[in-house]
Amino acid sequence: MTGVWALLGALAVAGAIGVLLKAREGRISRNESVDLPAPVRDLLAPGVTLVQLSTTFCAPCRHAKVILSDLADRTDGLTHAELDVTNLPDVAAALGVMRTPTTLALTDDGTEVLRVGGVPKRDTLLAALQPHLR
Amino acid sequence: MPKDAPVDPRGPRFSAWMTTVVLAIVLLTGWWRLLAAQTVLFAMCAFISLKLNPWGHVYRFAVQPRLTPTTEREEAAPLRFAQGVGFVFALIGTLGYATGLTALGTVATSLALVAALLNAAFGLCLGCEVYLLLRRYAPALARPQ
Repeated sequence: MTGVWALLGALAVAGAIGVLLKAREGRISRNESVDLPAPVRDLLAPGVTLVQLSTTFCAPCRHAKVILSDLADRTDGLTHAELDVTNLPDVAAALGVMRTPTTLALTDDGTEVLRVGGVPKRDTLLAALQPHLR
Repeated sequence: MPKDAPVDPRGPRFSAWMTTVVLAIVLLTGWWRLLAAQTVLFAMCAFISLKLNPWGHVYRFAVQPRLTPTTEREEAAPLRFAQGVGFVFALIGTLGYATGLTALGTVATSLALVAALLNAAFGLCLGCEVYLLLRRYAPALARPQ
């Protein structure tokens, strides 16, 4: 009988986590700017840079890369750069990043404009970035 | 460690549904030998090659021909990472059931089932969600391969 309850519990937990993760996917948030680690600072370009943090073990990072590099190609003043943090856990920790892909929109002086968890939604992201693009 | 070629992403989803069913049977029956077999399967996929997954072959021969072809491909590394996480939970579960610690077996199997179902139903990428956390809180468990 315990097994039946365990199975029902597991189904309920998986459903709840799944709905929560789907809701979080591509959500834009704003964090306090932090002191940027050198590998991130090195990527900053004039205008706004979308720094995408990825790892080897991340399948959707490829989708995020396609969306973001296409968006950057079509938008003036926007650059996309990918940083593989598989071997740079300190960089991820310093930025408060716990999951990949996470994308940080940073101005050329290193100020964080916004960040996106998961695969970004193109139009929503562009609308949020618009005020910061020159 | 041999490197696997990228795969049709629907294959691992099919495989995750099959794993969910196997783990559900284990929970309902407490049949630890079935869980032991699943543990071996996780280990082969995680540490040797994804090609050893029999569900992958079932998918290629029985399911894929009925679906519209896709050019989309998924890298093997995230899949193997997920199989490794499945291996840890299934191993703990097997040891629990086999040694009479049924509660441990049930909890570990339930956790493995949650992960498999999230993968099957929602396409959850386990490596995306837990790799950085593991690196932070249990560095020894998450060395890159």
